[in-house]
Amino acid sequence: MIDFVLQLVIAGLTVGSAYALVALGYHVILRATRAINFSQGEFVVLGGLIAYTFVHVLHASPWLGLLGATAAGFALGWIYERIVLRPAARNGDIAVIIATIGCVFILLYGHALIWGSLPQPLPPFTGAQGQALHPGGVAIQEQSLWVFALLAFALFVLWLLFERTTFGKAIRAAAVNPIGAQLVGIDVNAARAASVGIAIALAAFGGTLLGPITLVGGTAGTAIAIKGFVGAVVGGLDSPLGCALGGLAVGVIEKLLAGWLPYQAVDPVVYTLLLFALIVRPQGLLGRRGAVRD
Amino acid sequence: MLALAVVVYGMAAHGSAFALQVGTYAAIFAVGALGLSLLLGNSAQISLGQAGFFALGAYAVAWLTTNAGWGFIPAAVVGVFAATCVGVGVGLIALRFAGHYLAMATLAFGLIVYGVFSQLDAFGGVNGITDIPPLDVFRYPLSNVAAYWFAWLVAALAAWTTWNLLRSRTGRAFAALSGDPLAAQVAGVPVKRYKLLAFAYAGALAGLSGALYAGYLGLVIPTAMGVQLSIDFLLMAVLGGSGNISGAVIGAALVAGLDVAGHAWENWRPVAYGVLVVCVVIFFPGGIAGLYVRRRRRARPTESGAEVPRAGAHSAGRVTPPSAQSPLCVEHVGKRFGGLVAVRDVSFALEAGRLTSLIGPNGAGKTTLFNAISGVSAPSAGEIRIGGHAVAGWPAHRIAALGVGRSFQNARLFADLTVLENVVLGAFRCERAGFAADLLALRTARRSEREVLERAWATLRELGLESRAGVYARDLAFGERRRVELARAVVSEPWLLLLDEPAAGLNAQERGRLRRDVLTLRERGVTMLLIEHDMRLVMSISDRVLVLNFGELIADGTPAAVRDDPAVIAAYLGAAPESGEAESLR
Repeated sequence: MIDFVLQLVIAGLTVGSAYALVALGYHVILRATRAINFSQGEFVVLGGLIAYTFVHVLHASPWLGLLGATAAGFALGWIYERIVLRPAARNGDIAVIIATIGCVFILLYGHALIWGSLPQPLPPFTGAQGQALHPGGVAIQEQSLWVFALLAFALFVLWLLFERTTFGKAIRAAAVNPIGAQLVGIDVNAARAASVGIAIALAAFGGTLLGPITLVGGTAGTAIAIKGFVGAVVGGLDSPLGCALGGLAVGVIEKLLAGWLPYQAVDPVVYTLLLFALIVRPQGLLGRRGAVRD
Repeated sequence: MLALAVVVYGMAAHGSAFALQVGTYAAIFAVGALGLSLLLGNSAQISLGQAGFFALGAYAVAWLTTNAGWGFIPAAVVGVFAATCVGVGVGLIALRFAGHYLAMATLAFGLIVYGVFSQLDAFGGVNGITDIPPLDVFRYPLSNVAAYWFAWLVAALAAWTTWNLLRSRTGRAFAALSGDPLAAQVAGVPVKRYKLLAFAYAGALAGLSGALYAGYLGLVIPTAMGVQLSIDFLLMAVLGGSGNISGAVIGAALVAGLDVAGHAWENWRPVAYGVLVVCVVIFFPGGIAGLYVRRRRRARPTESGAEVPRAGAHSAGRVTPPSAQSPLCVEHVGKRFGGLVAVRDVSFALEAGRLTSLIGPNGAGKTTLFNAISGVSAPSAGEIRIGGHAVAGWPAHRIAALGVGRSFQNARLFADLTVLENVVLGAFRCERAGFAADLLALRTARRSEREVLERAWATLRELGLESRAGVYARDLAFGERRRVELARAVVSEPWLLLLDEPAAGLNAQERGRLRRDVLTLRERGVTMLLIEHDMRLVMSISDRVLVLNFGELIADGTPAAVRDDPAVIAAYLGAAPESGEAESLR
């Protein structure tokens, strides 16, 4: 029983890593542009497919695939901000929401046109597919260990970027007070585009990490987007650490539910958790009061 | 509208079976799109879960007609009722959240409904319910042509009720709450109730749409009611031009046509929809309707300034407070923001029919006190009695409904509405028509509408704003804006009026005008509390002056007494020789 639960927790933390990265993406974009990007989940899928192309078409190593997908994510995010988010913002908040939802459809059905609608396998970063370690009777895929390590790495890099570099300070200044930032010589538009770039890069990074475990492609994006949002709301949208922990927690909750409920019933229960979290503690477990509502 | 009717008729008269099918779907989806269009364009809320309400309507019809042997119409009534109730529930979430939280919450709602229906064996699980009997009207089955007409009849009814709503006080309430919720509340609009109403109405129409769909198609499956359908509804509303009735119908017709005709490009279609949505919100925020409606505006009742009521149709008389008690009693009121105490233990009572000024240096807590009295933010301590009612903690619209008018320091008008519409909104609490009367444009609604218009015109005339009635508030000069705000505050004939720095920013002539207006109001018996920095005005018109400094009441008396009060002089000049504390404030 304990082993079973432990097994579920490990599986939960693995998928939860993707939710954590999506939640962080929401946080970064929200901070920079005051908008939530509904297509965040689709960029996770797209990232996995870009890595798949590197590996299966260009015969590169999965590591190069990870690098390529992340870099492509940054570039796509930059463009996305320029051609979708920024122009839509001129027509109000609701226009931005609707535009990002439109992009869900472009991405979701667009990548099916290019890569086909069936999910594709991605080789693990080390070892053979599905190869597992067995410390103390619990099976852990090697890839899961990479997922945890690289999630930690990504969090560390983000922290360095935002807290320890002038670039990060500029982005934060641009978000807090665009006019003030402009007055001290910060290119606010570039800072926004870079933020969205970072957020999409995180999504693509997550898609590639999880690829060897969950396959890449298909229609998983919407569920990932909402579960990432559940994680962000549970942990606190204005707290990066809260987003990461919230995402992981949602992954664990999902897998624990899956241990006992029929699998189609899991997602509705997780979504109900969102409504519950919104009503009970909208600022999240680690968030500040008054930070939400818009 | 006429063009639409011709197209609808033409398709039935000359169309193939295929055209008939597309046309029926267009009508069915138009019903749901109308609701979302109102929600999105008029109440400025978003829902990505319309498919959830649609599914409730569809499953109610499917289950009741197949398993319980009901006819279509009673089954549809149950479905619409269920969708309306759930709409209120989702609306309750919407009250706490706006923007992306609401979008995500409604998206989750849609997916939950989808999940529940695909899980429950009673509703056929993932296979849904098939063999639904064809559409019938009280047991009389409809042919395809009759079903087409029936669907369009329902769509026309939905368009009619939506139109009625938008041109009544409900439509005005939507315009106000999407423009400036706080000002709307103070003008007497119960903002929360109207937000809920918009959700319930949109839910009801989506449910009706689903009911028709189930009856017409003869089967329901959960996958037809997933996120894709919610997004389709969004596309219809946005493509047609949200907030526009004919736009919603056109949007629905286009999407229905593309859905049915576009099977050949099954894989490309959703991508094209996505591109279309993005392009429309970026390049044509007014949608298709924006192309033929010259100026982007909401359906509004009062824009037909043509029928100006004759002078004297309504004339303001003397007002009296409803009870013999003091119109306003402030008892030990305090307000703190975190660690900052803005108002501390303030008590005073106003005498009926008198003009009292509240003065004090900037930051003394005057506006904070106004906010507490008018219900904008509840006091942290103490009690406020207005006409005998203990109102501390009441929402602003309830306080307004007692007969309290208020203006803001920075003239919060509804910028996208005309002067007349702004003033009509001020009379919101005087209107008597209920929701049902609005919906069906009953005679009570029309009469109430006429009375309110007469009142508004009378007020405009009195304040010399008649010629500006049709001008948009955003195009007004500052002084006029203040006068319109005064008109909005007095049109409902309040017996207690709170004016926050009405003279600030006015030129000498405008100040003279304001002075006359205020004195006229006093003659009429209106009890007034005035925040003002213009001492000449304060001293010459006030019956009594209250002085607030650092959140505390430091003086209370006639203008002359207050002027000579050493504490007041110290507060303003910081120069009282015996007060070392005042010295340090300089």
